[in-house]
Amino acid sequence: MKKLALLATSVAVLASSSVAKEINVGVTMSMSGPLAAYGQTAYEGIEFANSLQPKLKNGDTVKLVLIDTKGDKVESANAATRLISSDKVVGIIGELTSTNTAQVMAIAEKKQIPVIAPVATNDKLTEQKEFANRVCFTDSFQGAVVANYATKDLKLKTAVVVVDQAQVYSLGLAKAFTDAFTKAGGKIVKEIKVSSGDKDFKAVVSQIKAANPDMLFLPMYHPEVSMIARQAKQIGLSKPMFSGDGVANQTFIDLGGDAVEGYMFTDFFDYGAPPTQRSKDFIAAYAKKTGKQEMNSFVALGADAYNVMVDAMNRCANPEDSVCINNAIKSTVNFEGVSGVLNIDKSGNSTRSAVIKVVQNAKAVYKATVNP
Amino acid sequence: MFMQQMVNGFSLGSMYALIAIGYTMVYGVLRLINFAHGDIMMVGGFLGYFGIAVLDLPFGAAVLLAIVGSALLGMASDRVAYRPLRSAPKISLLITAIGVSFFLENAFNVFFGGVPKAFPVPAYLENVIDFMGLTMPVSAILVPIITAFLLAIILWVLYKTKYGMAIRALAFDVGTVNLMGIDANRIITLVFGMGSALAAVGGIFWAVNYPSVEPMMGVLVGLKAFAAAVVGGIGSVGGAVLGGLIIGFTEVVVIAFFPELGGYKDAFAFIFLILILLFKPTGILGIDFEKSRF
Repeated sequence: MKKLALLATSVAVLASSSVAKEINVGVTMSMSGPLAAYGQTAYEGIEFANSLQPKLKNGDTVKLVLIDTKGDKVESANAATRLISSDKVVGIIGELTSTNTAQVMAIAEKKQIPVIAPVATNDKLTEQKEFANRVCFTDSFQGAVVANYATKDLKLKTAVVVVDQAQVYSLGLAKAFTDAFTKAGGKIVKEIKVSSGDKDFKAVVSQIKAANPDMLFLPMYHPEVSMIARQAKQIGLSKPMFSGDGVANQTFIDLGGDAVEGYMFTDFFDYGAPPTQRSKDFIAAYAKKTGKQEMNSFVALGADAYNVMVDAMNRCANPEDSVCINNAIKSTVNFEGVSGVLNIDKSGNSTRSAVIKVVQNAKAVYKATVNP
Repeated sequence: MFMQQMVNGFSLGSMYALIAIGYTMVYGVLRLINFAHGDIMMVGGFLGYFGIAVLDLPFGAAVLLAIVGSALLGMASDRVAYRPLRSAPKISLLITAIGVSFFLENAFNVFFGGVPKAFPVPAYLENVIDFMGLTMPVSAILVPIITAFLLAIILWVLYKTKYGMAIRALAFDVGTVNLMGIDANRIITLVFGMGSALAAVGGIFWAVNYPSVEPMMGVLVGLKAFAAAVVGGIGSVGGAVLGGLIIGFTEVVVIAFFPELGGYKDAFAFIFLILILLFKPTGILGIDFEKSRF
């Protein structure tokens, strides 16, 4: 009742003078639990972008409402429900992983609230959904990026693919790579399936060595990939190895040690090669605020999820109209973001560049930018 | 190629064997499947990590710390969680063991986080030996040797010492052992200590061969070592080693001959378990349940 009264007064005040309102934007993120490190990084970007641009064109303030999902599916769904029904958010940013984001999107779809996923890459997420959007690329795109880079730039002809069959991410990415690699004239000489949680890959690397391919593609997450790299090095297997964004973090390099020197993977963005003026400014401001010289790509994508949301709100006559915001998000054209230039189409997927990074002296170093 | 895969299987199997011995020993005296055993192994790995990375101890001292720490933890878990339930039905004991397992996993998750930590392996263990075309890191070769050595010690304790005699007696009947003037609880504590110390060695080996430690690392390994103990005949120390090797070889053979099915290698290991139990319910070296132990 109190809230209602407050709302009534604020509406009354608004009608008389045009005092700025506060508009809630929800964030669902894994701030604790096993994926906390990634979730906190992405939220850092969202929060920092909010501090740089807290106001809309018309003077309204954007207020972030964060709910920790603990990296859990059910918690993610609950968080989305709570944000929509009790916090009355106009849009949601998050979650982190594809699995959890699917939960958030399913709920937001029913309530017609737009969702922007910062880093969830699974192709299926945005299929048959009207209110689902993302600022990252899809797995089919990053699979093609690696395939084209390997065949055209490095002239590699044969590949072995190791798939983690317990991860939807891995299966999708492996398929995208296989299709693009074969189309570009390459040949997959062997596909080996493993399962997340495995530690012993000695038998796998022995098989790969016998097949003697030009390169390895390992579309998996860093715990397994780092073990494969280590055990490959032990048996003297030294072929170029590639992965997707599943290994784009420092933990991968810590776990892999010497064995991942020269390892290549796709990422969204590199702070050493800022793609736009906005990235340069953002990186400078970020360095000034945090004292950190390096900036993780998840920070940039978190920031862009927020920036695209605010941009869409600015393009709506009423920045509280969720349907209008959603349509505005889907007509984002040549948007200058922190992580690069973004175009978001009707499907909710964004067309954007990818970067290829290589591990050198225990650091991920920028190697090339690939445009769509 | 074939020989290389056999060497791989032998090394992996020895690691399972080391953990399986602990399962089998506790089962032998208490008829308890100690589901927390895999997690004690995880604690061993973590203690080793702390010894080296945080306390800056030499590798040998860190291993000692892990063994002593895990043995104490194993004894403490018996004192706190299992001893009060000695006369309760076996099923309550089993559920308690699952509880201890969850407690350890989550406690480590809360305090140290779920992100895997790189285990600092001494360089001499990472050296790769090339012998007639077979390549193996030193650490992987050491596993079977140390497993055999520890097996010999365990067998010596069981068959040549007074304590061993007490342990074997305990396997027959706890009540009678008490009447003979032996403190059964002390002997059970000793068994937990020995089993946990072995788990710690296994944990260190696991961390050295696959250089990372994380709170859930003991779950799948523990499950497979348990399967190994059952295949070999639970209650029999020699059987545990045999079962470990069988499981290790099965996994490697699946990948070597059916790479497409590699993701199901765990399933194959467990199918094997079911098959063996169908034809020999007591396991390969298992002796009649109610008559004899070890």
